[in-house]
Amino acid sequence: MNADGPSTPAAPALPRILGPIRPRPRWREARLLAVVAVAIVVGSVSLALAQRAPDAPPGGLEPAEPFHLAVYLGVLFLAHLAQVLAGRRTDQILLPAVGLLGGISLLLMERLPQNLVVQTLGDTDLGLADVQLVWLVLSIALATTLAIVVRSDRWLRLYKYTWAAAGVALLLMTFVLGTEINGQRLTLSFGPVSGQPSELLKVILVVFLAGYLSENRSLLVEQSTRVGPISLPPLPYLAPMVAMWAIALGIVVVQRDLGAALLFFAVFLLLLYTATGRPGYVVLGLILFVVGAFVMYQLVDHVRTRVDIWLDPFADPSGAGYQVVQSLYAFARGGLLGTGLGGGLPLISGRLPIPAIQTDFPLAALGEELGLIGIMAILGIYLVVIERGLRIGAAARDDFRALLASGLALVVGVQAFIIAAGNLKLIPLTGITLPFISYGGSSLLVNGIVVGLLLALSDKGVEPPPPPRQPGRLARLARRAAG
Amino acid sequence: MMNRRPVSRSIAHVGLTLTVAFGVLAAGAGYWQVFRSPDLTSAADNPAVIAAARNVVRGKILDRDGKVLATTRRDDNGDPYRVYPERSVSPVVGYSSRRFGTAGLERSYAAELVGLTDPDPIRNLLKKFETDPSDPKTLTLSLSLPLQKAAVRGLGSDRGAVVMIDPRTGEVLALASTPTFDASAIANPATEEQGFAAARDGAGKPLLNRATQGRYVPGSVFKIVTAIAALGSGAISPTTTFPNQSRAERDGLVVNGFRIREHKGVPVRTFDLAHATEVSSNVFFALVGLKTGGANLTEYAAKLGFGGDIGFDLPVAPSQVTNGNGDQPGGFVDDVELANASYGQGETFVTPFQMALVAATVANGGELMRPHLVTALTGRSGTRTVAPASLRRVITQEEAAAINVAMVRAVEGPLGRQFTPGADVPGMTVAGKSGTAELGGSGEPHSWFIGFAPANDPQIAIAVLVERGGRGAERAVPLGGSLLKTYFDTVAK
Amino acid sequence: MDGFTVTIWVVRILFLLLLYLFLFGIARALLRDLRAAAREPTLELGRLVVVASPAGEPAPGSTLPLDAITTLGRDVNNAVVVDDEFVSTEHAVLTFRGRTWYVEDLNSTNGTFVNGSPVDGVAPLGYGDEIQLGQVRLRLERVRR
Repeated sequence: MNADGPSTPAAPALPRILGPIRPRPRWREARLLAVVAVAIVVGSVSLALAQRAPDAPPGGLEPAEPFHLAVYLGVLFLAHLAQVLAGRRTDQILLPAVGLLGGISLLLMERLPQNLVVQTLGDTDLGLADVQLVWLVLSIALATTLAIVVRSDRWLRLYKYTWAAAGVALLLMTFVLGTEINGQRLTLSFGPVSGQPSELLKVILVVFLAGYLSENRSLLVEQSTRVGPISLPPLPYLAPMVAMWAIALGIVVVQRDLGAALLFFAVFLLLLYTATGRPGYVVLGLILFVVGAFVMYQLVDHVRTRVDIWLDPFADPSGAGYQVVQSLYAFARGGLLGTGLGGGLPLISGRLPIPAIQTDFPLAALGEELGLIGIMAILGIYLVVIERGLRIGAAARDDFRALLASGLALVVGVQAFIIAAGNLKLIPLTGITLPFISYGGSSLLVNGIVVGLLLALSDKGVEPPPPPRQPGRLARLARRAAG
Repeated sequence: MMNRRPVSRSIAHVGLTLTVAFGVLAAGAGYWQVFRSPDLTSAADNPAVIAAARNVVRGKILDRDGKVLATTRRDDNGDPYRVYPERSVSPVVGYSSRRFGTAGLERSYAAELVGLTDPDPIRNLLKKFETDPSDPKTLTLSLSLPLQKAAVRGLGSDRGAVVMIDPRTGEVLALASTPTFDASAIANPATEEQGFAAARDGAGKPLLNRATQGRYVPGSVFKIVTAIAALGSGAISPTTTFPNQSRAERDGLVVNGFRIREHKGVPVRTFDLAHATEVSSNVFFALVGLKTGGANLTEYAAKLGFGGDIGFDLPVAPSQVTNGNGDQPGGFVDDVELANASYGQGETFVTPFQMALVAATVANGGELMRPHLVTALTGRSGTRTVAPASLRRVITQEEAAAINVAMVRAVEGPLGRQFTPGADVPGMTVAGKSGTAELGGSGEPHSWFIGFAPANDPQIAIAVLVERGGRGAERAVPLGGSLLKTYFDTVAK
Repeated sequence: MDGFTVTIWVVRILFLLLLYLFLFGIARALLRDLRAAAREPTLELGRLVVVASPAGEPAPGSTLPLDAITTLGRDVNNAVVVDDEFVSTEHAVLTFRGRTWYVEDLNSTNGTFVNGSPVDGVAPLGYGDEIQLGQVRLRLERVRR
């Protein structure tokens, strides 16, 4: 090899790995965001037309609440710009997908009566859409900030037991200090600010599990305890699994939050499979789940009520089964094409037919107004978000990042599945939120964190340097001829 | 960094699982939004139906001859309200009131009367694009107003029910329940308070549709069900006799220590099915029931419509042969209960509607036709007729013929005439069975009659129940006979 | 069907179509990625064999795969984590450009050495050459087919 240095001209300017920021265009993201923007504007126009009296002349096609629209699209554009300037090679599909979901949420909140939620700020009253817009903006800002700023995963990777302790502390605080709403202790209030810590807990759980499982992966994969023909995880590692199951049951009993328990346990089981690749663990987990569910059904009243309502909501259509029945009616009214934004949800004595529609049943409202075609599109968008997250995990540099990214994707996907299935009477109804679409600050902020972390993890790093430019055919011939 | 490959494979598996899960979600959405959409959007408590009903002029309801049973008028504000010219049909037609909701056919056909849904799914989809999508339908019923009025008049001040069905088609020509109530008073906003209070709190619970919702001890009319089960399962033939019967007629039949006594007037000898029906022998039918077995009895009862949802235009309370709490076949507790049930006591409870279906099945040669009230729905888009449909075949033609013969004897036979006087119609043979449902304690028993005519080519089947009417022969049987006669005088032309 | 109803339904259906246009755009992008990945099978460019590693991280005798850009150092975020007290957090980076491997020292405290000679900035690296960071020695090798 030459000792005098490279034969190619000049020490090639190699961009430093963790070097200065260089703006880079993100065309794919820009194209997708353009489609998102047009879709949301058209949706807003459709809403405005529906809200006008049916016999009014169709003078102008102007959108409903143009101010909200402008702010939201502006924030999406700014997020795109920020990522362009930061120049990291992060995923370009996540932001548009989440942006579209957020846009649909905004349209839905515009469409619902604004007095469902009233927050007073100084001397102005903010209605449903106003508040949701604020949270959406904050969520996107948070996601973008994390996407740009987070360069190292050391703070997540190294302190997993600290994270676990923080999670348990948060859980205990909610048990003890939480305010009870509808028999559920889910909210922590400090003065005017209140939030649902269980949302943050799911991210902490994923961080802990990613660290724990990546560290102990080889042990979990290779060793096992044999009990007859079944091979179980090695005993010392069986303990955390059973502990996880016990915590889930605890959440069900004490906090009466079936949705969170189901989410935690499902994510745990799926991450365990991702890390070890052993279906035996999943089978064991499912057995534990069935046993636990059966016991809960027998012993705990509110679990039994929920399951009975799920099995036959029409047995008590105006009492216990009212929510589920009305949700199904809403879907049925939608049919294939839906009633159009703003065209559905007939009022009963001036009130909406489905209680808690903005938090628990946004999918039913969208099912009525956008029809089966719209619902399938929305499910498709969630699948896109999940797919991007899982792909980021599959391409990740090491196990920790792979598990972290997959876990974050699962947390969004499994949560969406649980609440959608509950709305459709496929599983008992639970009170968790539909990510990015339900109303709720805690939910939006935490899902913003999830997306931000996923974007940070998706950084493909610096581009491989191009091969040095080959001199043209003639120049090569000339050089060879010369010597 | 070593085992990176397997992780990405597990991730792929997880991704596949989630994709399948979301596919299930999409299928679920499709189920509710397309497959079940028609029946959910017609449910009376669907907010869309309620909202539409406020502003839309509901369709009319007509009887089989086109007489108006329900129509709409506008009050001083221009708001529509319902008017019901005929009080006798109130339990069938029901009412539609802004304040008190809907009942009867106004309830079960709310979506069609309001014009929300169309039975044709393509039209339903295109309906969205029309400016005025509602197309209220006019319902034409198989009900015959003269028959209905005659039934209500015949019941008089007694509480009771009459059901008349055409056994060949399943069309219901009369469905009366007394006392009736004034549906117009409920629907008219000016009188709705008093009208509803009178209906709800009136003596004898006028809002209760006794024909479809009243469950009564059947007494001897149930013996027809026992006969159907016995012949259908092959336990007995029309000529079967029991050797120990004559002694049991005299001394009573002992079953597990419980003595079943015969009622007065039954000759002390052995006889077959036709004779047993003629004299309404408790002992014979108890023996038949024991021989048939509880499983067969409940199975054939179920074929006749017991225990389940018959699928009628109005909600029908399920009839039962037994509580089902026992361990014996069919759910009976022991043989004593089975024996008692076989002649119509025990834990049997039936609706008059169900017993009319029993009579109709025998009349139609053993084939049960689907009962229905609505025969046509007419709207802007045209008329859709409801064709007669067969529910199922319960017993063979020969078996039905044997029961037919038995029921003819019950009305026309020498002894039958004494037990069932007044059921016959001059100029034709009537088949029937009376029933006296003992209720225990003091007070009159329920009076029952089921039957059909003419026996050789049945055109109409009937069930009559008079609460506390005394023995069958006292009230139900003569009323049945006179209503059959009215049918042939008015409707069957 | 009057004008208003037509307009509003056109707009509504347009909204639904745009949702699917978005999904279609993503599907097309994904397909393009898949096709690109299939067209250029990842070449295994080379690998590092751990000759000596007193601290045990990376494991001595093990073989480490290399990307077009591979970072070495003590920090956990490096592609190759070298846990040695004489190795800096971000110590060196191996890059493959054109047809040759290059090693670049990232201003580390104790320097990077190729076959014993210190590296000043960027130096080319051949198959069989040994680089040293702190007490850890790694040899660049070709990938055998």
